[in-house]
Amino acid sequence: MDITNKKILVCDDSVLARKQLVDAVNEVATGATFIEGKNGAEAVELYKKEKPNLVFMDIVMPEKDGTEALKEIKSFDEEAVIIIVSSVGTQEQLKKAIKLGAKDFIQKPFEKNQIKEIIELRLGGK
Amino acid sequence: MYTQFLGNYLLQKGLVTQEQLFNAMSRLSQTHIKLGTIAIHEGLMTANEVDECLYVQTREDKRFGEIAIARGYLDESQVEELLSKQTPDFVLLGQNLVEDGVFSYEELERIIFDYKNEAELYDLDLDVENQDAIENIISKFFLMAEMPTNDLNLMYLELMFNSLIRFIGEDFSPLTPMVLDEFPVTFGVSQGVSSDHEFITHIDCDRETAIAFSSRYAKEDFNEFNEYIVAALEDFLNLHNGLFIVNASNQLSKDISLSPPVITEEGVLSGPNKCVDFPVAYPFGTVHLLVCF
Repeated sequence: MDITNKKILVCDDSVLARKQLVDAVNEVATGATFIEGKNGAEAVELYKKEKPNLVFMDIVMPEKDGTEALKEIKSFDEEAVIIIVSSVGTQEQLKKAIKLGAKDFIQKPFEKNQIKEIIELRLGGK
Repeated sequence: MYTQFLGNYLLQKGLVTQEQLFNAMSRLSQTHIKLGTIAIHEGLMTANEVDECLYVQTREDKRFGEIAIARGYLDESQVEELLSKQTPDFVLLGQNLVEDGVFSYEELERIIFDYKNEAELYDLDLDVENQDAIENIISKFFLMAEMPTNDLNLMYLELMFNSLIRFIGEDFSPLTPMVLDEFPVTFGVSQGVSSDHEFITHIDCDRETAIAFSSRYAKEDFNEFNEYIVAALEDFLNLHNGLFIVNASNQLSKDISLSPPVITEEGVLSGPNKCVDFPVAYPFGTVHLLVCF
């Protein structure tokens, strides 16, 4: 699938989780540009600057967590497509994120198929 | 999980070396159980009878079942029943060790008998892993470490073995746990778990072992120690502890929270009371999983 010109923001404090997400997307689609952030504050800044088409956002992160960043991004861009990538043990925060307008969520450790579905559904190759 | 516990038992009793154990474990997924092994496991044949049939098989071009029937050790319906049986992996581990010449079928029969008795598995249905039996064996780990058991620490250790099987691989053997006042850190990641009281969890190993452990966790082929290795250790501990708090909250109605994982490169680890070190041997090295209560 060709997703050239699509920008994806990957926000996770774990360098490994970021790498795995980027690798997983690159396996199912080609051409995407990635922007990486390691906390919620960076996610908000990078979102404003880069206007990505899709965001993968971890919940538990230092400085500003994923739900706070989600809320802030949604406050200035209602159309933002934010996918929560949540680890176990964060159910309450996950519910909160969905209420705040997260489009979908993936539980860690994720399967590559889940990433494929998200990319197809949200970026559609067009 | 019986396989891992049998591995621990064999090591503890000095019946195998780590090398022999890992060699046999590494072939678990590629080997099939033999009729003779199941027949011993089900108590339908003795080890001597199986050895006799195997010997005959080397001289006559016949199946094991045919020979056992001809010699009156089994009847046709028993052969059919044995062939359809699901046999637990730990019996397969025993068979691999027999094939490697580590011990004979007769010794295996005695070892499995002793193991079942010591682990009090004897009357339980071994075809399906039994929750009570698993808890019983796990509580023995605390007994070995002279630690009192409670629902929370039993659950923690059981989940830890499950997480290792699920995310790293089943080819490990837990070694004998130790209670320490202080644990000298090699390299590792720590994470605090707060419930009624706070306890520290820690994963510790040398850097070479960390590279292999993280490669398996991340399903990548890392060959140098870098930030990905550290992140994989953090992710593993965080994920495992996350599973623990979900389970503990659901089953024990306890409110439990986690602190962010931190890297620990030197010094000693100590808790308000004691640290329990649960070493786990993998073919690539030994990983120490610690809980400081």
